[in-house]
Amino acid sequence: MLRRRWLAMAMFLALATPTWAQTDAQWQKVVEAAKKESKVLLYTAAVGHSQHKEVARGFEDKYGIRVEILEARPSEVRERVRIEQAAGRFLGDVHHNGSTTTWLMERDGAFQPHGGVPNARHMVPPYEVTELHVPSNVASFAILINTNLVKPADEPKSWKDLLDPKWSGKILSDDMRALGGGGLFFVVMHDTFGKAYHEKLAAQKPVFSRDLRNNERRTARGEYPLYLPFNLANYSSLTGLPIKVVIPAEGRPYVRNDLAVLKNAPHPNAARLLIHHFLEIESQLVYANSGGDPVVKGVIERTTGDMRPFLATKAMGTTVPERQDEMLELARQLYK
Amino acid sequence: MESVALSRRSDLAGDAGAVDSGTLPPRLAGAFPGFFRHGRMIGLALLIAVLALLSLYPMAMLFHGSLHSAPPGIAGAYNLDGYAALASVENLVVLANTVGISLVKTALSLALAILLAWIVARTDTPARGALEVLITLPFFIPPILTATAWGMLGNAQVGTINLAWRWLTGLEAPLVNMFSYGGVIWHMMQYSTPFIFMFVVDAFRAMDPALEESSRMSGATRGQTFWRITFTLMLPVTTSAFILSFIRGIEAFESPIFFGTPVGIEVLTTKIYHLIYHQSQPQYQSATALGFAAMVLMFLLVAWQWRMLGGRSFTTVTGKGYSPNVMRLGWMRWLTFAICIAFFLATVALPLGQLLLSSFFRFFGVYQLDMLTLEHYRGVWRNREFWSACANTMILGVGGATVTMVLGAIVAYVTTRTRWHGRRLIDVLAWLPWMMPGMVLGVGFLWAFAMLPGGIPIYGTLWALLLAYIALGTPLAVRVTSSAYAQISNDIEECSRVHGASWWQTLWRILIALAWPAFAVGWVLTFFGIIRELSASILLYAPGSEVLSVVILKMWTGGKPEEVSVIGLFMLVLVLLIRWVQLRLIKNRISTL
Repeated sequence: MLRRRWLAMAMFLALATPTWAQTDAQWQKVVEAAKKESKVLLYTAAVGHSQHKEVARGFEDKYGIRVEILEARPSEVRERVRIEQAAGRFLGDVHHNGSTTTWLMERDGAFQPHGGVPNARHMVPPYEVTELHVPSNVASFAILINTNLVKPADEPKSWKDLLDPKWSGKILSDDMRALGGGGLFFVVMHDTFGKAYHEKLAAQKPVFSRDLRNNERRTARGEYPLYLPFNLANYSSLTGLPIKVVIPAEGRPYVRNDLAVLKNAPHPNAARLLIHHFLEIESQLVYANSGGDPVVKGVIERTTGDMRPFLATKAMGTTVPERQDEMLELARQLYK
Repeated sequence: MESVALSRRSDLAGDAGAVDSGTLPPRLAGAFPGFFRHGRMIGLALLIAVLALLSLYPMAMLFHGSLHSAPPGIAGAYNLDGYAALASVENLVVLANTVGISLVKTALSLALAILLAWIVARTDTPARGALEVLITLPFFIPPILTATAWGMLGNAQVGTINLAWRWLTGLEAPLVNMFSYGGVIWHMMQYSTPFIFMFVVDAFRAMDPALEESSRMSGATRGQTFWRITFTLMLPVTTSAFILSFIRGIEAFESPIFFGTPVGIEVLTTKIYHLIYHQSQPQYQSATALGFAAMVLMFLLVAWQWRMLGGRSFTTVTGKGYSPNVMRLGWMRWLTFAICIAFFLATVALPLGQLLLSSFFRFFGVYQLDMLTLEHYRGVWRNREFWSACANTMILGVGGATVTMVLGAIVAYVTTRTRWHGRRLIDVLAWLPWMMPGMVLGVGFLWAFAMLPGGIPIYGTLWALLLAYIALGTPLAVRVTSSAYAQISNDIEECSRVHGASWWQTLWRILIALAWPAFAVGWVLTFFGIIRELSASILLYAPGSEVLSVVILKMWTGGKPEEVSVIGLFMLVLVLLIRWVQLRLIKNRISTL
């Protein structure tokens, strides 16, 4: 009887332990195999961003494994992966994209199990590692204001303050009817304040533009007093301009980016090692110092002073991939 | 004169109006009859095969995509949902917007370009050589840069022009608002006017002034002469330019996305962009169906041109010698000079001034002394990816433009100067890539090259980019050279052959020599078309084969518009250099002006 209980307990533990957990010795074998593979190809949707390049350089210095990077917009990366796999061309190793696109690609069967990385144990809630994907970094969004046009007393304190008639026709915004920061903003505000919020905001006649980095400059030049949702990761590159970041009391919408190993990746061990490296504290600091929430513990306390107050604010909400189409359709109806 | 200018082709039937099997070089044809008979068949088959690979194959992939519920490689069902979805009020509005905007901008650009070309080529306006280069400059500036510059100049709130207007008049209402239909059209005109200008200016130059002089001597006024002789003789080139420009207007993306979308103006390309890039699940079926619907519309236009020009002759370069001269305008030459300068100031100096100024400040459009810097120049200089992309782009640009022009010249020869069976098919095949919006065609190339058998190592290499660029450039190359061929009388070829020159010698020393200016213009247009191409490049490049447009996109989305300005200026220097060489070559070879 006792023996049976022990056996049941052992079986329970075996099932409860993630299949991708491994010992140090096993991990060393992965590292050695990765070095033999000598290179890894990263497909990323972070077009033009510097953070993943900096992380990749750190990886090359640390392991001597070359990182090749292919950047394209989210749906372009997705389509390239899809058609390559359909044609039997397995070129890419690691995929880096927003959580919605990653979820869709998981559903399409574009990934293989990553096999586990030791740094996954440092992951902080609400972020979770699954068999197929590993959260890598988080982008947070706020309001950007022109300090020449908005007096401190007029600064929005709540997201609801944007409904004040004084902002009518004065809000520049990423397109809420499209996948991206605008779409994220729409979902989070909808889930927090309801459909009525958007009906009132639409009456404010926000001006949509998807030229995101130029929108920041247009705001700084005084074309519009407010721009939303502003990606905090871009804040440090705007130093010196008459702008200020406002994070309303309710918090900031955020979106998670994920890493995954592409199906039949030619360099699976190097892919796994690169994912592990993305979760190192020094890699996470690269993201945190530019305004992104780290996904592992022990990072926020090491960030630079000007970013820490932003990161200390509340994360408000994020997209739900399963409802994305429904939300985009609703946005199209409300913002015509 | 009239017999040369507007004779019916049927009048020429029986003469050597076009090359057929009987007009091959007699000695060669006599010596190797079998070779030429079969050689022509093989050559035609080869040409059709090349064009089919370049245009039909990606189009077929797209057509499949428009009829299938899922893109290639994914299980789905064949249906007409994509086409059925087109029949909506929303799409009708989009279509009306697209056609309306393109029509207005093409008509205005054509009128302006013809006026400028006439001034530069046919009048004694001062500094015409320099003006010719200056007028064409806007075409070569990346549209995203001029859009940004015009956004700063012409936004209703704090645009430089409106600030100056308010300061001068005290009025609150803005003078201009770029974020409007007018703004979209104005921005598009900055590309279509120099494009059409380059297309028509050499045709003006190649025209025998005796035709106009005869008209004047017969009592026609200057206006009547321009309308009945000059304009009529220019019909092949102007209609080609009109159609190419109109189609490009339908496919334009940067102007409507930048100035139209923020105020709710939606056109075909922004709709397609929305279907592919803004959805969680890209709607390739709807996007490709929309692309094919646009293609049918454009094909009708091309068919209209064929019908309008069919059976008429527009030769102006004949065996009879002529001395190209210019019209003496007297004091009015300063007026024509002022028109050219005004165009240059409005389309080049204003936006370029913003770019140049911004390249020396930390932030685009923020002109504070404490923000003066050379960091953007250093940034570009140190950017290894940029230089690597430059090298790739130069290889692809020079190689691609040359191959494209050779292919275009061959296609144009077959379609305009022979009566070979299958020439119409060749013409259609060469037109196809121009009729499909670039954003959709880029996906077609991706699908086509990725789906090639593994033994054909094209996907992920520079070859994929090169083939895509050749396909995209061929329609333009064909139009440019066929318009030039249409002006060259067959009697010159006849004369060459009568004097014993071989077919190749005639081709090289008569047709190519006379069409050389158009060939050079086509090369420049194709070269810069390659440099600017993004839709296919972003989907076909691989690490190590980045091209300039991809690097510019990365820099732009990475928040470095100031460095993109530096690259834009660098490209302008390149343009000036190439245009200078081109004009020198033309002047040495052809022009006596």
